[in-house]
Parts: sequence; structure tokens; C-alpha cells
Amino acid sequence: MTASPLAAREATLGYGRNVISADLTVDIPEGEFTVIMGPNACGKSTLLKALARMLKPSHGTVLLDGKDIHHQPTRAVARRLGLLPQSPTAPDGITVADLVARGRYPHQGILRQWSAEDERVTGEAMEATDIADLASRGVDELSGGQRQRVWIAMVLAQQTPLLLLDEPTTYLDITHQIEVLELCAKLHREGRTLVAVLHDLNQAARYATHLIAMRGGAVVAEGAPADIVTAETVREVFDLPCRIIDDPESGTPLVIPSARARNLV
Amino acid sequence: MTVIRLGGYSIRLRHRVLAAVLGSLAALVALAMWSAATGSTSLGLERVWYALIGQGTKGDEFILWTLRLPRLATGLAVGACMGLAGALFQTLTRNPLGSPDLLGLTQGATTGALIAIIVTGASLQTTAVLAAAGSLATGLLIWALTRGGDPSGYRLVLVGIGVSAILAGVNGYLLTRTTIVDAFRAVYWFTGDLSGRDFTQAAAVGTVLAAGVLVIALLSRGLDSLRLGEAAATGLGVHVGATRVTALVTASILTAGAVAVAGPLAFVALAAPHISARLTGSSRSFTVSAVVGALIVTAADMIAVAGVGDRQLPTGVVTGVVGGAYLIWLLIAHRKKGVMS
Ligand SMILES: Nc1ncnc2c1ncn2[C@@H]1O[C@H](COP(=O)(O)OP(=O)(O)OP(=O)(O)O)[C@@H](O)[C@H]1O
Ligand SMILES: [Mg+2]
Repeated sequence: MTASPLAAREATLGYGRNVISADLTVDIPEGEFTVIMGPNACGKSTLLKALARMLKPSHGTVLLDGKDIHHQPTRAVARRLGLLPQSPTAPDGITVADLVARGRYPHQGILRQWSAEDERVTGEAMEATDIADLASRGVDELSGGQRQRVWIAMVLAQQTPLLLLDEPTTYLDITHQIEVLELCAKLHREGRTLVAVLHDLNQAARYATHLIAMRGGAVVAEGAPADIVTAETVREVFDLPCRIIDDPESGTPLVIPSARARNLV
Repeated sequence: MTVIRLGGYSIRLRHRVLAAVLGSLAALVALAMWSAATGSTSLGLERVWYALIGQGTKGDEFILWTLRLPRLATGLAVGACMGLAGALFQTLTRNPLGSPDLLGLTQGATTGALIAIIVTGASLQTTAVLAAAGSLATGLLIWALTRGGDPSGYRLVLVGIGVSAILAGVNGYLLTRTTIVDAFRAVYWFTGDLSGRDFTQAAAVGTVLAAGVLVIALLSRGLDSLRLGEAAATGLGVHVGATRVTALVTASILTAGAVAVAGPLAFVALAAPHISARLTGSSRSFTVSAVVGALIVTAADMIAVAGVGDRQLPTGVVTGVVGGAYLIWLLIAHRKKGVMS
């Protein structure tokens, strides 16, 4: 296995007394596009929050570059690792350009509040997410999909080598889903390490270079998509009988739920 | 967008915010000059100027330096403190009604002042010190009670309302323990007033204001990011917990400073951030909030000095009436837009 810039070591994650994951060990491989999949409420967001130091493990540690993430200055961490939360909230009345500009926070100081670099990077982030022409609009007057792309632009503007995205394709139409995934693939090709939670197994199989399947707070399978997306794993993870065929477009596994699955309900 | 770059310093402002900062500052300067020039004896700007540079008549210099400027300076600093405290409380609670009045700091200050009045017979200094202590203690109590809980701000509001109700009860009890003379003094105190303030008091609030401005300058970008929610703010590298506590303590100190010197001038802290948001087109600006706070108090004090008939009014009566009318208007305007229920 390649070196891991971000990892959970025997971490127990939960909320108060409610333990979601016990003794979880996960390595995010360097330079890969990792996709985490699993049924609702299995602890994907919880794991992502822990990896992004938003949730402190009650036991065990989260390591960023081999050191406990909670012992590193939070601004330094913010220059290494960016997170798109699952349902972020924009303040009333904020404009698209202002929200994207917030992504520059960890690069700014009390004096240097807006450099030429900040200007360039936010412009590029808005171009990449196809929202440049929305720049002066209020975020609360956008559609769900437009809003999602604004948040992605904000995380991009943070310019971190590590990106954690919790369901970046939610709310998006099929075209924009593919656009966001292509953008992720491009960032991955440029050398960034990505971790995303996705619900669409076929998209996960097509774009991910590394898959982590979770169930009940534990990792049940991990590896290359071609090895992981099998009828057995899908049944084990999602309780879903299915057939796997080759995606005619990309050659990656394509999950076809069994017709019987509908009659079961 | 306007980008200002000066050597290593750079900042990005919306045109509207820049215009609001400059416009409100200009209005404040004009109002301050007008306030210095008018009153029971109208001096006019020319005589004010000569008195200011030490070439006026003895009488003019007395009016300006002993009567008007200390009162004006105190009002400006008190107003700015309250404008900033209000903006901080509204950011922290994420609630348009977040203010020292709602959260019980005003009631805490009143408790302190009442104790001072009962025990010492209303020495001005003790009243100021105990009022400040009461307001600060209330701020810390609210912090202690909300620590580690739901960070949405609702908890802060609800705990604040609870604390406020308890303190109102305590204050009612304390009032029953006073003599009629002290009770009158107490009522006068919690109306809030600026008459007879001298430069010592102006300097005291000025110091609190300067400290508050400094902390807010360091904190404001973090607070702006906090408005994106706790998760997003942490992701951006904001020390969420530390930022919140510092903001709450700073807001409490600013309130304490203002209330100690002028009493709880009603509604200034509540109204200033809202008027500021109107001016800037809803981006939050601490600068504009502070300037608007100073504007409200200065204007209210001029009306109070002019008085009704030949009787001057306590400043707090005017801020209360004006602020209350404004609040009702705000609720009606919001209801029309369907933003608030
Ligand atoms: N803030 C919270 N406080 C308490 N419990 C929580 C909190 N967030 C999540 N949980 C619980 O933790 C469990 C895992 O939630 P998590 O958000 O990690 O699921 P998920 O895998 O991301 O699901 P989804 O696919 O629906 O987003 C759930 O049972 C949920 O109820
Ligand atoms: Mg989730």
C-alpha cells in the first residue's frame, strides 16, 4: 500500500454515548480518488467528520501526515485538507463571490486580507464549477444544484492537496453530477488526494480509484473498484440482490439490481 | 468590489459596504458638530471652533469643554460599544433579536446597580462598578450554562431569556427593599442617562471601546466564517470554540462598559446592527454597527437635551421610544417579506 497522508487508527467515533464506529482503522491512500459507499446512517459522514477533525475520537487517533490531527494548528490543517460538509448552510444575503472568497481564509492574515493570488484562485474555482456568471447573485436565491456547486467552489478555493467531499453530487442533475465527478477526476489527475461519499455505485465504480465499503460503522471491503463491486459485496453491504455487468462505456463494473428486488418490498 | 492595497495590507470590500462606512462616518461627524454647536445656549460653529482652539470667551469655553464635549464623547463611545455588542450578540446567537436586553445582561447590570444603591446610597462610582460587574457576571453565567451544548445559538437565546427572567425577579425583590428615594434613583438609573458625565467617564468607556475594537479586528474574519456553520468554519481553520468564547466575553465587556457609565440605554444594541445591515445591504459590518450605535445615542441625547417643554429628558427615554418604534417597524417589514413568522 502507498503512503497514507490521512488515516484513522483504532478510532472510536460517536456522539455522546452513542458509538457509531468502534476501533475503526482506515487509510486514505496518497494520490488516489477514494470513494466511501454504504447504506444511509452507516457512519460515512461520521468518518469524514473525524478525518476532517470536526469530531474528536473518544479513543484512538486520526493522523494527518503521521501526526495527531488534533495536535496540529487548525489553520495549518486547513491548508492541507478541505471539507465539503453534507448540508452546509449559507448565511442570509451572502453573494456567491463572497461565499467562494471565504475559502481563502486559511491563506489570509489580519493585514493580508485579499491578495492578487486570492483573486485569481477564487476566479479559477468559480470557472471550474461553472458558476462564474452567478458571482454577484445571492446564494439563497439559487437552485439546490447551483448552491452545491458554489460550496464546491469554496472548498476548491481553499487549494488543499487533500479534499474530503460529503455527497458532492446530491441535488445535481445528471449532467452536473458527471461534471462534478469529471472535475474530481481532473483534480485527481493533477495530483490531489480525494475522498468522496457517493451513493451511486456505478458512478463510484467508474470514477474511484479506491473504494471503501462501510456497513454498521465498520469497513467491510476495501480496494480497487473492479475487485470490490461484486454481487456478493453489494448484497453484503446493501442487502441488495444484483447482477454485475461491464459498463459498455468505461469497462468498469455496472450494478444491475435484480428484478426480484422490487417484488421483495 | 473594491480592493484596497497598501504595502502589505490588502482588503476586499463591497462598494456598498465602503459607501456605508464613509457615509455613516460623515453623518456622525456632522451630527457631532451640530450637537456641540446647539443646546440650551446656541454657540454656532464659529464660536465652537474658537472655543475648541482656546481662543473663545470664558463662558463659551466652559460650555464646550465642561458641559458639552464630555457628554458628547461619552455618548459616542457608549453608542459605539453598544452597536458592537449588539452586532456580536446577533452573530453569536444567529438571531436577529440577540442583544444584551434579550440575554439578560441588562438585568444583571441592574441587579448590580440596585445593590450599589441600597448598600451605598447610590455613589456614582460604586453603581458603575457593580453594574459592570453584574453585566459581566451574567455574560459568564450564560457562557457556563451553554458550554458544550448545541452550538446553533438557540440554546444561548433560551438560556439568556431564562437568566433574564430570574434576574428580573431578583430586581423586583431588591426594589421592594429600597426607600422611596432610592427607588426613584434606581428607576432613573435603569432608564439610562448621559447628563453630567465628565471626561473621566468618557475615557473609561473609550478605553473599553478601544479594547473591544482591537479584539473584534482580530476576531471578525473568524466570526464571518462562523456564519457558514460550525463544520464549514472548522474546515476553514477557525478555532470555533475559542472564537465563540472570546466574542461572548468581549460583547459582555463592551456592554458592561457602556451600561456602567450611561445605564442600559434601551434598544441601541438591538437596533444598530439592523440599521447597519440595511445600509450595507445585509453583509455584516462591525464598523458600520459601531458608527450607527454612536449616531443613535448622539441623536437621542440631542432630543433628550431639547426635552419636552422646558424639562430635559433622560437619554434612555428617547432611545427606548425611538428603538421600540423601530423594532415594531422591523417586525412588520419582515412579516411582509415572509422572512420572520
Ligand atoms: N450530530 C449527531 N448527533 C447524534 N447522532 C448523530 C449525529 N450525526 C449523525 N448521527 C448518527 O450517527 C449515525 C451515522 O450517521 P452518519 O451521518 O455518519 O451516516 P451516513 O453514513 O453519512 O448516512 P447518509 O448516507 O444518510 O448521509 C446515524 O445513526 C445518525 O443518527
Ligand atoms: Mg452522510
